[in-house]
Amino acid sequence: MNRREALKNTAVLLGTAISATTFGVLFQSFTLPENEKNSISFSADQEKILAEFADIIIPPTKDAGGAKAAGLGSFIPMMITDCYPAKMQMAFAEGLKDMEAKSLKDFNKDFLSLTVQEREQLVGNMRTETIEKIKADKAAKRSVPYFFVLARDLTILGYYASEIGCTQSREYIAIPGRYDGATDLKSGQKSWAS
Amino acid sequence: MNINTDLKKENTYDAIVVGSGISGGWAAKELTEKGLRVLMLERGMNIEHVKDYDSAMKDPWELKHANKLTEEQKRTHPVQKRDYPYQEANEKWWVNDLECPYTEDKRFDWYRGFHVGGKSLMWGRQSYRLSDHNFEDNAKDGHGNDWPIRYKDLAPWYDYAERFAGISGQAENWPLLPDGQFLPPMDLNCVEKSVKKRIEEHYKRTRIMTIGRVANLTVPHKGRGNCQYRNLCSRGCPFGAYFSTQSSTLPAAEATGRLTLRPYSIVNHIIYDKNTKKAKGVMVIDAETNQTMEFYAKIVFVNGSTLGSTFILLNSTSEAHPNGLGNGSGQLGHNLMDHHFRCGASGDAPGFEDKYTFGRRANGIYIPRYQNVGSDKRDYLRGFGYQGGASRKNWQSDIAELAFGNDFKEKMSTPGSWSMGLGGFGEMLPYYENKVYIDKTKKDKWGQPVLAIDCEYKENEQKMRKDMMNDAAEMLEAAGMKNIKTYDNGCYPGMAIHEMGTARMGNDPKTSVLNKWNQMHEVNNVFVTDGSCMPSIACQNPSLTFMALTARACDYAVKELKKKNI
Repeated sequence: MNRREALKNTAVLLGTAISATTFGVLFQSFTLPENEKNSISFSADQEKILAEFADIIIPPTKDAGGAKAAGLGSFIPMMITDCYPAKMQMAFAEGLKDMEAKSLKDFNKDFLSLTVQEREQLVGNMRTETIEKIKADKAAKRSVPYFFVLARDLTILGYYASEIGCTQSREYIAIPGRYDGATDLKSGQKSWAS
Repeated sequence: MNINTDLKKENTYDAIVVGSGISGGWAAKELTEKGLRVLMLERGMNIEHVKDYDSAMKDPWELKHANKLTEEQKRTHPVQKRDYPYQEANEKWWVNDLECPYTEDKRFDWYRGFHVGGKSLMWGRQSYRLSDHNFEDNAKDGHGNDWPIRYKDLAPWYDYAERFAGISGQAENWPLLPDGQFLPPMDLNCVEKSVKKRIEEHYKRTRIMTIGRVANLTVPHKGRGNCQYRNLCSRGCPFGAYFSTQSSTLPAAEATGRLTLRPYSIVNHIIYDKNTKKAKGVMVIDAETNQTMEFYAKIVFVNGSTLGSTFILLNSTSEAHPNGLGNGSGQLGHNLMDHHFRCGASGDAPGFEDKYTFGRRANGIYIPRYQNVGSDKRDYLRGFGYQGGASRKNWQSDIAELAFGNDFKEKMSTPGSWSMGLGGFGEMLPYYENKVYIDKTKKDKWGQPVLAIDCEYKENEQKMRKDMMNDAAEMLEAAGMKNIKTYDNGCYPGMAIHEMGTARMGNDPKTSVLNKWNQMHEVNNVFVTDGSCMPSIACQNPSLTFMALTARACDYAVKELKKKNI
């Protein structure tokens, strides 16, 4: 594949599934100024919370394990600390705390004690609120990171790069050995992982 | 420097090749096969074929950051990170920009890989011949200087280079894109076949579409394995299925027993002997120890990449060559060009829902230049070609905003619609004022001055970009695509990594640096056969031309050496 095409495919691959913010960080590359290297750290409990959050975004199904089994609980914080500039790290950490506070407020329980249905409800509310915030910020021409968007983006990125995502939710062949540009689509055919 | 005679003898070869990338590897192969004892100098680390391709066999989940860059990598690679080629999977092959700074008078994205094999490991592998249109354009429209050669001079060397390198492709009998010695072509997919048919019918074959001609083997070739359709080429190929120094020219050169390869050897300058009026060797800085040393040879091939070679020549000053070696013309460092791209169109391909692809083809389609030829007239000079292709998305696109849950997972795992894209690659004219020069106010890690780059696209390129978008949209429409969108993502010189032209060939020593054999007009034992020699760049990917020019120059150099003319 030539370079232009590779670029295009990267864009297509992520086009509507991943937000412009994440696209910007991971593909257009911010640089962390030296004086902003105050990276945050995550506790074991926070990793558990992120694993459960990710499992709501991409849940386990009959055919394929979910985001928690795919290791997203540690992948998300690792990516935040290694690959995001300090300001976004802080915003993410704040958002994670807000989610916990929201859980206590709405359900009188911490996030880890919620049932799956309660988590779905909470995450659904977060989604609705985030969509509204995005609209308002767009109108005001503000550009701010959103915890829900960052956490969801990283869940998708990490899940479809994970072994479970590639081999169970999608189909992966390490060495195809040949190219067929017009093979019949079988019923139940999953997307190719690459 | 005091050098005792034994050491001098030890450091003396028949030929020195500076650089180990595509053209340097070819020079080493040709010169050793013709009987010369060759020292190939590489400024970066050694990379052993297969053994050092650390990430080549890694599955997606074995890359810690899902192939993304860390903040630390972005900090140390502020230029390399500007575009996608620098990734987690091949990060060790891109230069640390902080160690090797340069000055951007205007933005120029300089992608560099300092290691044995150079960019032959990461290149795009698209391999096209130039045609007589390309060799004659400068003379016809008066931009740049006339090429000192024509297609017939290079055609046998294209044959020679293709036969060895292994280029897969389809013969098309298209005047602007001469056919070559091809291995069987890769397949077009079902959408591309339909688009090809409809475009060629609609334009009555005044435009054609073909499978990319690519230096990936479709059948085993000269002991190398064929492409396994993994599309992970830029990590290095454990099957040796694409042309690189490591897979192809280096083993051939080593097989002669006459090659010495020295990594970590930064050539600082070429040593000029005013008595013989020849180069007597090169001065090298050991990149690991910072020690300097000299090597000597009868001929020097300079293959350090366009701007790398130009830096060495500009930095090789002496009383006889105060402005750089062989720079009596004043052209050295000038006429810098690169292809402009990142604009075109894409659309959805309706139908074909019952078809899918198998395998990851490391290649796309090619539409060769058709503008400003015959009755096709444009309001700019020269023209462009297209690269692109069709693919089936690996997800359904009707996903609600920020969706999640079971349905979302299902959609993300189910093949979506087909789409087809065309991206233009346009020729840039040679402009004297697009130049590089040495900036002594900065130093690199080894205390060398740095290059300053002052280069921009001009009106001709800007005008062409409009057609690169509009023609793409028009062709996609003719091919039955829907929801066609044009795009121009903006482009800066350097981004195509096809920089060329800063030590151009020509017949007249007053206006060019190299003669028709890539030999310096003023220093006849120095040859430059990388991209810096190009008087114009056409719109085709250039590396195959560097291979052919290098093989041709080596043949000439050795004959001249035997005749004692050098």
